[in-house]
Amino acid sequence: MRCKKCGHEIGPEELRCPYCGAENSYAVQHQKNMKRFKKDYKKTRNEVIRSAQSTRGLATRAAILIVLIIGCIIMTIVTSLNYVDPDPREANRRDAERHVDEYVSEAEEFLKRGEYTEFVSFMYAHDLHNIAWDKAEHLVSVNYVAQEYYECIEHMEEIILRSTDPDYFDGLDTDIRNFCMYVDGFYEVLEVQRNRKKSKEYHAYMDDMDAELRAAMRTYFSMDDQALEEFLSKTEAQKAVILEGILRHE
Amino acid sequence: MNKMMKVVLDILIVIACLAFLFLTIEMVSSYRYAHREKEDPIETELRVFEYELRHKSYGEIIDTYYVERMYNFEPQDGMEDIYNVAEYAHAAFMSRVYAEKGDDRMSESNALRMETVRNRLGAYAYTADEVDEVIRNAP
Repeated sequence: MRCKKCGHEIGPEELRCPYCGAENSYAVQHQKNMKRFKKDYKKTRNEVIRSAQSTRGLATRAAILIVLIIGCIIMTIVTSLNYVDPDPREANRRDAERHVDEYVSEAEEFLKRGEYTEFVSFMYAHDLHNIAWDKAEHLVSVNYVAQEYYECIEHMEEIILRSTDPDYFDGLDTDIRNFCMYVDGFYEVLEVQRNRKKSKEYHAYMDDMDAELRAAMRTYFSMDDQALEEFLSKTEAQKAVILEGILRHE
Repeated sequence: MNKMMKVVLDILIVIACLAFLFLTIEMVSSYRYAHREKEDPIETELRVFEYELRHKSYGEIIDTYYVERMYNFEPQDGMEDIYNVAEYAHAAFMSRVYAEKGDDRMSESNALRMETVRNRLGAYAYTADEVDEVIRNAP
């Protein structure tokens, strides 16, 4: 650059012209700027360091907290998975989904053969009442009745084939109570399902179950038709008292 | 402000540490639960079956059969004897029902079924006689 006064060539950092002694305004301004920049830089640097020092602990704490929270979440998931027992019906469900048509027709065969307890067990074992609503819908009504019939027959068998060993647990009262509950349930469900037009083609099976249940009660509870009708008209508790008398020969 | 944040974070860390500790203990317990020694259900059923046979409690054998058949329509390995004895008892029970009902078709097929199951009973053939006697004399 050149001196504004004498026109000689001078360096940009020279504060005065070495030839005429005039002030180099650019160099002076530059020096001032540099001083201010250095001051600002120091100030900013100090602020940054101070701020970093004050927040240093926060970042560490936040990191520890995040690690702990993630650890807790992982352990909760692992713990939950450990406590889950495998579903024993899962395999049956998958199998039924694959062979649903085959199983539905097999269930119908049980009905045709009059094997109603087998029908109910088969429906349950293959989860047909849960997974195959579209394909086994026609069996739903008869299945409701058959379930009650199943319970009645099961409890009658438990009553008749109970142990008479005095050293063995006597569960007769419980079995009688259960039977009375289910026999009432059977006739309630039968009445509802008999009135459903959709289940018309299965009414014959329902009537057959009714006939078998009545025959079973006549046979094993020593009742004639009149006594049976009277028995069926009683309340659950009254039925239990009557059966207690018959079965314990009281 | 930063100091307050640090205090809050310290409290949260203490809480998280306690939760971590609790969950570690819980996870160990759950691991022990998942790897607990399990009794073989078939072995248990067979022990109960023998006990019930000793006391001629065919009603309870039938109960086991009905419950088990809800899960496995065909018997699992080792459960065949329970199924056979209970199936015979059920068929014997139904024989008088069909006779009372006057259903010859069912009576015939049931008699055939009883015969078939009786032949499968093997060492438990004596149970068929015991069941027949109970059914004959009931109630």
